[in-house]
Amino acid sequence: MYKKNRAGIFFLLPGVIWILVFTLFPLLYSLALSFTDRQLAKPNSGQFIGLQNYGRALGGILYATVPEGSPFYGAVAPLITNPDLRVGDTVITSLYMSLGSVTVTIVLGVLIAWLFNHDIPLIRIFRSVMTMPLFAAPIALGFMGLILFNEESGIINYVIRGVTGQYVPWFTQVWWARTAVLLVDAWQWTPFVFIVVLAAMQSIPVELMEAARLDSNNAWTLFRKITLPLIAPALGTIAMLRLVETFKILDIPLSMLGGGPGSATQTYSYYAYQVGLKNFDMGYGSALAYILVVICIIISTIYFRRMGNRYEQGE
Amino acid sequence: MVDTAQKLKVTQRSVSSPNIRGRLSKFLLWLFVILAILWVLFPFVWAVITSFKTQIQALEPTFIPWVQFTPTLENWSQELGLGAPETFSALRNSAIIAIGSTLFACTLGTLTGYGLARFKFRIGNRNLISWVLSQRFMPPIATLIPFFLVLQFLDLLDTHLGMIIINTTFVLPFAILIMRDFFADFPDEIEEAALVDGASPLQVFLRVALPVARPALTAAAIICFAFAWNEYLFASVMATRTAKPYTFLVASTSTVRGVHFGYLATRMLIAITLPVIFSLFVQRYIVRGLTLGAVKG
Repeated sequence: MYKKNRAGIFFLLPGVIWILVFTLFPLLYSLALSFTDRQLAKPNSGQFIGLQNYGRALGGILYATVPEGSPFYGAVAPLITNPDLRVGDTVITSLYMSLGSVTVTIVLGVLIAWLFNHDIPLIRIFRSVMTMPLFAAPIALGFMGLILFNEESGIINYVIRGVTGQYVPWFTQVWWARTAVLLVDAWQWTPFVFIVVLAAMQSIPVELMEAARLDSNNAWTLFRKITLPLIAPALGTIAMLRLVETFKILDIPLSMLGGGPGSATQTYSYYAYQVGLKNFDMGYGSALAYILVVICIIISTIYFRRMGNRYEQGE
Repeated sequence: MVDTAQKLKVTQRSVSSPNIRGRLSKFLLWLFVILAILWVLFPFVWAVITSFKTQIQALEPTFIPWVQFTPTLENWSQELGLGAPETFSALRNSAIIAIGSTLFACTLGTLTGYGLARFKFRIGNRNLISWVLSQRFMPPIATLIPFFLVLQFLDLLDTHLGMIIINTTFVLPFAILIMRDFFADFPDEIEEAALVDGASPLQVFLRVALPVARPALTAAAIICFAFAWNEYLFASVMATRTAKPYTFLVASTSTVRGVHFGYLATRMLIAITLPVIFSLFVQRYIVRGLTLGAVKG
């Protein structure tokens, strides 16, 4: 509209300045800290130590992910000088939870969206109900998981024991514990996939569906040939968004199992939090966090490329 | 289930001649819809049931009150009676922090959103928007340590203002995005006319644009409020005593009393009720708001 009116800048600036001050500055501060040995309790800390923090973190990650004796090990071995042996496990935990949660939410979300895309009475109310978990505090949902998945008395194990005769060691076995946390996260975010996919399904032209129905009446064929290709872009977008978000997951494992058993459900973010603000090793904690920042920047760049020129319109 | 849909289509085509297959498919569709609803509601319902149980009852898989177990108000009276001072002080802190950051974020967000929708900037509007939205991708953990040190320096640790600043920063991108989208989709003829009549851009914004933006503003406010209310990570480091919000109180439950399920369920329910009820009113904005505008809702 007024296009190049000078007044525009006054609307824009307050928000932009706020973000600059409260995001860019902390990020730069944190970058600076990551090159130091700053510890809150130590008076003489804060010396510049170069890339040592990053060496510890990346060395630990490589040590855990590249098996010794594999052909790649020789190539990465020089990088592993002073590895942090705990960080590797947290990366594996985070990767498992992210990929697992994204897979579960997408499969269930698409399925439920397909169900709810039928014209049945009360469907509007049902759709609202489906989105209820989205805005519940994750820290509280961790406790919900604690109650539901409890090995001895939880309702989930009660049902499983009734059907199979055995119970699942949700809280004591490493991979089951990770799975339990993952399922709570998936329960919270399936509604998100549901509501996005439903919106995508509803934007498919009715004529297109009608025309396709003349050729085939098989619901599976229709879904695979028409619906799926048309909702695929939306699916790609949410998959990326959820991958980034779940990789940052911290509240649910923290309140549900406190990172246990051992440190099995301690995610990468959780570990960085513990190092930086529970052990007050702020230099190393910042380096751990910064590695995550770099990953997030890479993914967000791809994400915004995908969005194309959506924001060029309407200006 | 696949067959269900197929049969359903058949039913829709031949409504006049009801057949058993059609009814069966309709029945199956309903069955799965109800299963999905139950799957979402079950944990909430189970938490409500558990909150009316004693510790011993909570260890049994009973769920019909008065028939299978005698409900008790012990947990609720503990939280709202004996523990009332602590509970209400934490809820008050949560409310102050959430409302404060919602006001800040919505004020800034509406201005910036309007600017991005109505004006053209040399730096490129698309770049600006991408930059604002990319803030949501930043792991909060990366700003946690600097924020802690800065608040310590400014003597704002454990204060409402400190927490309001932090939460405003996190929810501001949502507010900007929702408001920009609203204004970008809203016809600007009236604003243009007012401008031709000699009104200043600020007058146009306040008198013409702002009044029509009320629904979008409400949605932005609800989403901001919910996220600020649910924030735990920063509170656990920077608001642990006087400004302690309810999420922090919830998280400290198990350490204080051991794992007491009934009590845990009570606190959990108090923590989630407000945002969950609010969320029922922002359906239209969830898709765009939470996908950062990538998917149109």
